Amino acid sequence: MKKTMIIFLFMLAVSPAWAAPLKVATASTDLKYICGRIGGAEVRAESLASGAQDLHMVEPRPSMVFRLKKADMVVRVGLDLDMWLDSLINAAGNRALFYGAPGYVDASAGVPLLQKPAGRVDASMGDIHIYGNPHYWLDPANAKIMASNIMTGLKRLRPEKSDLFESNYAAFAAELDERLAGWAERMSGLKGLRIVTYHDSWPYFAARFGLVVVGHVEPKPGIPPTASHLEDLVRRMKSEGARIIVSETYYPSKGPDFLAERTGAAVLALPVSAGGGKGVADYFDVFETAVSALETAAGKAD
Amino acid sequence: MKKTFIFISLLAAVSAAMAQEGGTPPQGMRGTPANLPDISMIGVVEGYLSSDKSDEEKGKLEFSEVETAFQGYIYPEMRADVFLALHKHEGSYESEICEAKVSFLRLAEGLSAELGKIHLDFGKLNRAHTHTRAMIDQPAVLTGFLGAHALNPQGGTLKYLLPLPFYARLQAGAWDGAPHEHHVDAENTADVVDVDGSTVTVVLEPGETSDFSPAGKLYTWRFNMSFPLSAGSELELGTSYLKGKGSHYEHHRDDIRLAGADFTLKLWPSAYRRLTLQSEYMRLTREVPVGKLERDGLYAFANWRFSKYWDIGARFDYAEGAFPAMSRERDYSLIATRRLTETTTLRAQYKHVNLDGGKTDQAWFQLTFGLGPHSHELE
Repeated sequence: MKKTMIIFLFMLAVSPAWAAPLKVATASTDLKYICGRIGGAEVRAESLASGAQDLHMVEPRPSMVFRLKKADMVVRVGLDLDMWLDSLINAAGNRALFYGAPGYVDASAGVPLLQKPAGRVDASMGDIHIYGNPHYWLDPANAKIMASNIMTGLKRLRPEKSDLFESNYAAFAAELDERLAGWAERMSGLKGLRIVTYHDSWPYFAARFGLVVVGHVEPKPGIPPTASHLEDLVRRMKSEGARIIVSETYYPSKGPDFLAERTGAAVLALPVSAGGGKGVADYFDVFETAVSALETAAGKAD
Repeated sequence: MKKTFIFISLLAAVSAAMAQEGGTPPQGMRGTPANLPDISMIGVVEGYLSSDKSDEEKGKLEFSEVETAFQGYIYPEMRADVFLALHKHEGSYESEICEAKVSFLRLAEGLSAELGKIHLDFGKLNRAHTHTRAMIDQPAVLTGFLGAHALNPQGGTLKYLLPLPFYARLQAGAWDGAPHEHHVDAENTADVVDVDGSTVTVVLEPGETSDFSPAGKLYTWRFNMSFPLSAGSELELGTSYLKGKGSHYEHHRDDIRLAGADFTLKLWPSAYRRLTLQSEYMRLTREVPVGKLERDGLYAFANWRFSKYWDIGARFDYAEGAFPAMSRERDYSLIATRRLTETTTLRAQYKHVNLDGGKTDQAWFQLTFGLGPHSHELE
């Protein structure tokens, strides 16, 4: 018995570290979900931000440093949205996660970006992202690129599991295609629907499903709404026939409610990440919820 | 010539496009993807009112501080952060290296280091640059025991993330702090009775300034740990210790020790709401040839961010003077902050000061703005 115990402990001690699931820290819950889908049992993913948080304004916490110190891989949204992650990675001092290291994955790599500023960019344009709009995950088609980036990172760390990751990726992509076709079918009747959004976070979604964003509650990205801007927006909504206001669940409701009162438009407070609302458990639920809410609101608006 | 120019322009445009489209985007996506550091500037405009008629600074609205920063990597896993400040000090603008440090992000598993002129990691607030604090002034205990500005000596520190199942960091540093320069009349001495009953002969506080701060060879350590109490709350506990000399050692011959304990509790009930409760306690011990002074100080700060754009806060300060003539200061502050953007804030603060029974009311208005990609280490 004693010998068996010694052998067991010895085996445990010498067993390679790669036998344990890879620990992946992601900036968002959507990335966590996709990591889980691609990595399967080979991955234990944790999101630093919750699905109900505004990813622009996540406050770095010491406990996040601890999670990054233990991680084998980090997956970021990129494009300036999660700049808070840089100080955390530096504080964790985990060589595997530094920029360019095998465990560093920027999910935005290769995503066709919208609203890439041309020419000078400064704060007169609000809190603008200099490399383009970073809310790219709200086009479900981009999830394939995000998943591919994650798969590449996982293959770097576990090359011997490449077949598994590729097979998981294929299954994820197939499900995504199927769901996307379903959402596109349901949204086909809403093509050309005019909406107002709180923040300029829906251009990818709008482009995918043919919606027209006629304005934003914020006068410029990150700038709180003013009375004159809202009055102007009321006029624009009336003249352009915008009957739906889309806001993230975390934004203040005062501005959208004011617009709704003045124009009769419906306000949709939608989660934009997995875990961001009731019944929104995963990345696909984000779109199920948004598509359903838009269908209902557009039906009522007609 | 024109053709060559067009060709070069085309080549530059194509190569820039390729650099953007291919491969992993640059880290943090700040600045431009050229070989330039992140260059930024923070400006602070302050207005100040006081009920003290002898206060020469009252009634002024002026640019109080400009901080410029040059930040970037200098080698794999090594970065440099240089913060140059121009700030108002006793009526005139003075320039200083606020911080200039090289960080070795990973020397070994969990081990990192910093070298240079650094805001000392003592307690919670000394390390934070003024524009990152949720208040306009600083608590009396910091002013009394660490100096009117943040204590930022030259030296180095080793930081070690302990291999524990929660965040715990131990750090130790060795420093050389410059004493404040001012005239001291060494003949101006007195025998005073300390709080412990001992008699101490000391050089009295110079008339020009009441600044005290640690100086000379300084040795520090700090241990802090943090626990997530739930998904929406985190508790951080820390202890700090400093050993060195007083800033007027040549006159006072004072060896000093400063011990501190701090806690910070943060609760995030929703995306934009946050309650912060923070407190620091410090005990200063000055050993002079004929005796020992022991002084205590603390602050307690509560801040409630109730929306995306607004914070309100309250702070209580208690600090005993660092000098032999015992003084006690109790301050009560109310603070309101309006965030215009991620880098621009408007802030107002009212403070009621009770210094040995002498009462003063003070008020500040502050506009802080940022230009460019300015960042600080996790604080």
